[in-house]
Formats: sequence, C-alpha cells, structure tokens
Amino acid sequence: MRSIRKKIEIALVASWALACREPPAPPFPAGGATAPVRGGELHLASAFDIKSLDPAVASDVLTSETVELMFAGLVDFDESGHVVPDLAERFERSEDGMTYRFFLREGLKFHDGSPLTAAECKRSIDRALSPDTPSSFAAFYNRIVGFEEYNEKKTSSHLEGVVVEGERVLAIRLREPDAAFLPAFAMQALRPVCPSAGDKYEDTWAPCGAGPFKLDSWDRGRGLRLVRFDGWWKPGQPSLDAITYSFGMNLVTQRFKLEQGDIDIDRELTTPDTFRYQGDPRWKPLGGYDVIPSIGGEELNVEMAPFDNIEVRRAVAAAIDREQFRMVKSSALVALNRVIVPVLGGDDPTFPAQKYDYAAALEHMKRAGFPYDPATGTGGWPKPVTYPIYKQGLFESTAQVIQQQLAKIGLRIEIKIVSYPTYLMMTKRRGAVAIAPASWSQDFPDASDFFESLFATSAINDEDSNNGAFYSNPKLDELLVRGRKELDPGVRKSIYDEADAIVCDEAPWAMEYQYRFYGVHQPYVRELRWSAVWSNYVRDVWIDKPAKHARRAATSRDALGSLLGALR
Amino acid sequence: MIKRAFRRIAWAVLVVWATTTVTFFINNVLPSDPARMVAGAQARPKDVERIRQQLGLDKPVLEQYGRFMRRLVHFGPSHIEKKDPEHGTCANAGPLHFDLGKSYQQRRAVTTILGERFPRTLMLAIAAVLVQTLIGVFTGLIAAVKRNTAIDHLTVGASLVGISAPTFIIGLLLQFVLAHRLRLLPLDGFGDTVLDHMVSIILPALTLGIYGAAYYTRIVRDELIGSIKQDHVRTARAKGLPMWRVWLKHALRNALVPLVTLIGLDLGALVGGAIVTETLFRWPGLGALSVSALLDRDGPVIMGTVIVSSAAIVLANLLVDVSYAVLDPRVRR
Repeated sequence: MRSIRKKIEIALVASWALACREPPAPPFPAGGATAPVRGGELHLASAFDIKSLDPAVASDVLTSETVELMFAGLVDFDESGHVVPDLAERFERSEDGMTYRFFLREGLKFHDGSPLTAAECKRSIDRALSPDTPSSFAAFYNRIVGFEEYNEKKTSSHLEGVVVEGERVLAIRLREPDAAFLPAFAMQALRPVCPSAGDKYEDTWAPCGAGPFKLDSWDRGRGLRLVRFDGWWKPGQPSLDAITYSFGMNLVTQRFKLEQGDIDIDRELTTPDTFRYQGDPRWKPLGGYDVIPSIGGEELNVEMAPFDNIEVRRAVAAAIDREQFRMVKSSALVALNRVIVPVLGGDDPTFPAQKYDYAAALEHMKRAGFPYDPATGTGGWPKPVTYPIYKQGLFESTAQVIQQQLAKIGLRIEIKIVSYPTYLMMTKRRGAVAIAPASWSQDFPDASDFFESLFATSAINDEDSNNGAFYSNPKLDELLVRGRKELDPGVRKSIYDEADAIVCDEAPWAMEYQYRFYGVHQPYVRELRWSAVWSNYVRDVWIDKPAKHARRAATSRDALGSLLGALR
Repeated sequence: MIKRAFRRIAWAVLVVWATTTVTFFINNVLPSDPARMVAGAQARPKDVERIRQQLGLDKPVLEQYGRFMRRLVHFGPSHIEKKDPEHGTCANAGPLHFDLGKSYQQRRAVTTILGERFPRTLMLAIAAVLVQTLIGVFTGLIAAVKRNTAIDHLTVGASLVGISAPTFIIGLLLQFVLAHRLRLLPLDGFGDTVLDHMVSIILPALTLGIYGAAYYTRIVRDELIGSIKQDHVRTARAKGLPMWRVWLKHALRNALVPLVTLIGLDLGALVGGAIVTETLFRWPGLGALSVSALLDRDGPVIMGTVIVSSAAIVLANLLVDVSYAVLDPRVRR
C-alpha cells in the first residue's frame, strides 16, 4: 500500500514539474506595422472581480483599471504620474491657490450621445460627494468650499465650491490653498457621468461616461466587454475595437492562456513564472514593471511597549537588512529605506534614510535598557511580541525573515496568522497590536498622501486608524500642514524631505520595500505603457498582428468546442 | 405516515433556522469590519463610518438579526418593482416574499445573485454526481466480478489515486493535459451558449467525478462481493440465470442501497458549492461566490449561501429517506 502511495506521489510531482517547464515561444508574432492600426480586440484577465463600475464608489485596483477606460476626467495622469488635461483642454490655478478653473473642450459627448457641459460636471461632482453616496474617497475633497455643509452636516443642497461659470467653464473653490488638490481631482471619483446617473447614487444605474471605451456587456463575476466609443474627443482614437476582461481566473490558467494566445497581457504572474519569462530571451523584451508608488515595512505602535521607546524603534529600523528582505520576492520587491519613493522624488543618496547597521541596532537596544548579547543569546526584550499576518499575502513569506532579523537584537516575535479582514481590524485598532507588517499604495501621486495618511496626528482614531503606529509629532504635523499649502514645488520638496527625515529618525515605521508588478504581453500588443498610476494602462494600445493570424476567435479554440460549434 | 413526514419537515426547517442563526452570530462576532472591506484598506475613517451607517452595521447585532429574520420570509405585493425601497431586493412566489438584503460588495439583491448562481452550481453538481456514479458503479462492478485479479488490483489502485489526490491536483492535471496540451476542452469558464456550457462543464464535472468515483468504486465493489454470497443470489445462479443478469439484477440492486445515501449527501454538499473546483475552473456558481463573500465579509451573501447549502443538504437527506423506502420495502413497514 505504501509503495502505491509513493508511486502516486511521484506521478503527481512529475506532472507538476511538467507544467513548470520552460515557456513556449509567443504564439503569434508581431506584424511589423509602423503606424497604429485600427481594430482588433484585446483580451485581459484577472484573478479578482470588480464590484462596481460607478466611479463615485469604485475603490479597488481592478475596478479603477476599467473605470479609467470608461470614464474620462477633466484632467488625468500621464504615464509618469503628471497631471495633464483630458476633457478640459486647459486648466489654471488662481494665484492664491484657492481656485482651479477648467476649460472644457468643444463638442464633448457622453457615451449616450448627450452633450458634456460644465453643468454636467458639477452634477457629477455633487452626486459623487453626496452624503448618500457610499464613496470611499469623499474625505479627499474636504477642502472644497461648502463640503462640510453638503457632505457632513447636510445643510446645503449642493456643493457651493463647485461653480459653473459658463457652458464650458467649471471653477472649483477651496477654503485654503491645496497643492495636492489637482492630483486628487485627477483620480476617478469625481469624473463626469451621463445624465442617466441623475443627481443621486443608485445601485441600479447602467454605467455610462465619456471615456474612450463604453460598456458593451458585464456578466458579474465572469467578465465584461468594452467597445470603442467613436465620439471620444481624440480623433481616430482609441485604436482597439474592443477590450474583453475575464475575472476570477487563477494564475496558472492565466499563464496557460497567455501561452495559447487567448489572453494578450498577463500581469498577475507567480514568482516562478516571472523568472521564467524574465529568463527567456523570446519573452524578456515583452515584459515590464508597473512603477506605482507604494511603501511596505513594519508598523511600530508608539503607544505600546516596547515600541513606546524610541530607541527600540530605532533598533528595529537598523536591524532590518533590506537587501536580504528583498530576496524573499526579488521579482517584485525593491529595497526602500524612506517614505518618499524614488518616483516621487526620493532619490537623493545623501538623504539620512534608515539603513541596516547591526552594531548600531545593538547599541540602540542597549540605550533602550534592553541590551542583548548575540554570543550568548541573552538579554533583549523579555516578552514575545505578537505579530499578526494574513494568509496568502506577501507577509506570510516575509514574517519569518523579520522574525529572524529581530531575534538577532533580542526582540522575539510570535507570528499569528489571521484572516485579512481580521488583520485590517486589529492593525487599525488602538492598543491592539504592537508591531505588524504594513503597506500603503498611493491614492494619488503626491508625498502628502503617504505622510498625512500614515504619520499625521489627524489620522489617529481609536478604530479604523490609518495611522496604525499611533505616532504623533507636532513638528511633523506643522510641516505637513505647510507642505499641503505650499505651491512652490521646490519649497514643497524640502518640506517633505524634512518630514521624511523626522519619520526615518523616530521610526514609527521601519521602511523595507516598494512593491512592483511585473507583466508580459504578446508581441503584437503595441503601445502598452507601464504607468506610475494606473495598472494595465491599455488606453493607447493597438494590435499589430500578421494578417494570417488576425482572425483568431475570441474564445479558446478547443477541439470539442470547435466540433460542436461546426455541428451547430 | 403523514405525521412522520410532517415531523421530518419540521425538523428540516428547524435545522435550517438553527444553521442560519448560528452563522449570523458567528459572522457578526468575528473580529472584522465589513464596512472597511467595502471602503477599502486605505479609506479614511469618516468614509468608512458613513458606509457603516449606510449598511446598517452601526445598529446592535440583535436588532440586525431581528430585521434579518423578519425580512427573510414575509408577505408583500405579488408584483415587485425593482426600485421599490421596501421590496426591491425580494424574490417572491406570489405574495410570499424572500429577502436576504443587498450584497455589501456587489450592491445587488442577494436573491438575484443566488438566482444567477444556483442553477449553474446545480448543473455542475448533477453532472459531477452523474460522472462519479457512472464511473464508480462501473469500476466497482468490474472489480467485484474480476476480484483478486490484476484488473481488480488496478481498479482498487486507481481508486486509491482518486482518494489520495485532492481535487485541485486532479483538476490541474486534467486542465493541463486535456485543455492546455491536447486542446480538447476549454481551460476554464462557463461559455455563453448551451453548447458552450456543455463543453465547459466537462472538466469540472470530471474533476469532481473522479474524486467522488474513487469512494463509490470501493463501496460498490465491497457491497457486491458481500451480496454475491447471499442466499437469493445463490438461488438465482442455481436457477441457471446468466451471470451478467445475476450481477446486475440481483447483486447490484442490493449493493446500490448504501450508495443512494452517499449520492444524496454528495448532491446536497455539491449544491452548496464545490469551492475549489469552481474557483479553479472559473465556474460561476455558489462555491466561488461563497469564497469571495467570506474573504470580503459580505454578510448578506454569506447568509444566502449558507441558507441554500443547508437547505440543499436537508432536502437531500429527505430525498434519501424517500428513496430508501422505494428501494428497500422493509423501511416502508
């Protein structure tokens, strides 16, 4: 009996190994066109699902990817993360920085053919920020004049600070200068929606906007299909006829489909698959990284022992070998030692960032009153500290590295595996967790988003605290207020550098890594951009397939399916 | 007889109610916040709080439970308008309404979501049970007829493979060989037409079927070997009946009685959703829905899938009892 079981196990392992062979060549070559070709359908897939296509409530990454294609904004981001005009042909900021004025292009239309005017933009903004809308982003716009009366106190019937100054001119007035308003406005929440959306959010509304693609069909939990909107403001654009998304597809199936030519871009690769494609000369030129700013590290609760002691926090920051940490998932992690990531300007090698220095870490523990002797393994913090992580995330892999690195300075952590919702609740509750792995992805590309969310006193709450370190520093708060109001980019940069230096020194977080997503695409997918803001930025993609392959059907060409299809 | 039937139905309702109630309270005492899951990990506290109020999650748990039970089965108009604030999320049979509320994540009526998903899961469950019964009975019969031969050992060995390998391994292997390498079948999905569904269901049904058939093979084989020694079978053989008739008519019928219990229970369990298989093959049924609902702490959907699953298992048990009475006259007495 035992030998049979053994044989079975060997057979299974062999089959699995078969699946992990070298990747085959890309199934279809590029056609060699030199100018964009109109037509073709792009096939994408994801392991996730989208919950809503209403920009007012869309909050997850996959949804924002599709919303970006369907709903154009007055302004948008270019691939480097700079705000650029979109439905507005231009915009201006008043000298005091308290009024933004947007001048709409002529002849703009929604997907349903109705004209897109400044009044429609105001209606869309009022609708998105209405107190009845379950928006996850309303708080980002609380500097608009009248926000409190409209969204919180409900004493006003509309948002006073959003003013229609003409058929094609919209002004937005702020109660104080806000240098981060423009990138926040370029996000998707306030984008114009068709008149059919009305003044109030409704779950039953059929999504309709003014983006380059419009909704053709949406089968919940399975996928959706977008088709080109010929009335888009950019003449001759977009090039694609349609984009098809399949949802809930596991990662192995995605890889199989990529290799069969059934999907065109695969951005959800397992670590071994990432290496397979990066190591294959036929696929390597077809790969790239999304560089969406994010930070990851250890959140150290400054209200709980032993991290209420600044020297212990400094010890942790110095004990983490970020290069070793990066190797846990080297296909995706980039070592990081400060809050401002390189793409947001944090690329100064002379900056006093956190760094690995084992001797210094031991010295900090000594100063904290918990000296640790590595030779005998005695000393350090006497009690084990609970360290919550959730399954099937990066933290499951990194927890053991942190456990080992902190044990070397006499901090023993006990890993506790919980569900993701439980992890979120625990780490955002006051007095619940002393240390936890944490990460933050930019909401919009601006340093203020990271600092105000994670380190400002105003971000502390007893429950739902985004400042999970419960860190409060009046000097930092003052810098953040100044940084938000400062309109000069140079001065602003120096303010946030100063704030970053404070955080690095006082270490409410021990910074560790930035996460990147690697993706590969078919050779015939052209103009795919690896964006600093949007994942799968396919708005400008065109298909360059040789004529003999151009008629590939949309569905998998399995033999039985083909046979039954022929009999039909 | 009627009294007994009523008692069984009353028990069934009680079991479903108890399961629903326990699930409701477990779901509510878990340390997690559905409003945070809706708003996203990075949402600001004020936005999370507003969503919590909109979902009614700021109310005491007992008040939420009272409302849930009141709404679960109630009376209302025979015709429901989608935008009706009171009954828009109900499913109805005339004036009898069933309301499970609205999904926190999908913002749609749970009855609508279940209405879309349930037929697909039922389709898969029936196909899988059919596959496992056909394979199980056939291989069990062959093993019994050829007992203690190489065929018997091979069949028993193969059934051991099925029992040992988890469904995701069987599924991955079938997917790799039949869909990826040989391109005989689609890798995953549900398709858009009836023909598409028929082709798409083969791999998930085979995956579940092979797994289940392994047990059936062993049970049928053992029962048949036991049956063949019984007096009535020996009499049939003595009367000179052909052996195939002896096996099929006299031995197999008795051997199927314990199998009926398993088939009923398996069908009930599969109707609750084959979580791994549905997820692997992107079969849009209740299994895949339950997983996402659990991960998102989508309370109304969790409740909906639990009610459907428990009702399916209870109903399957009732059907097993009825079929016993049909197959075994002693039970009727």
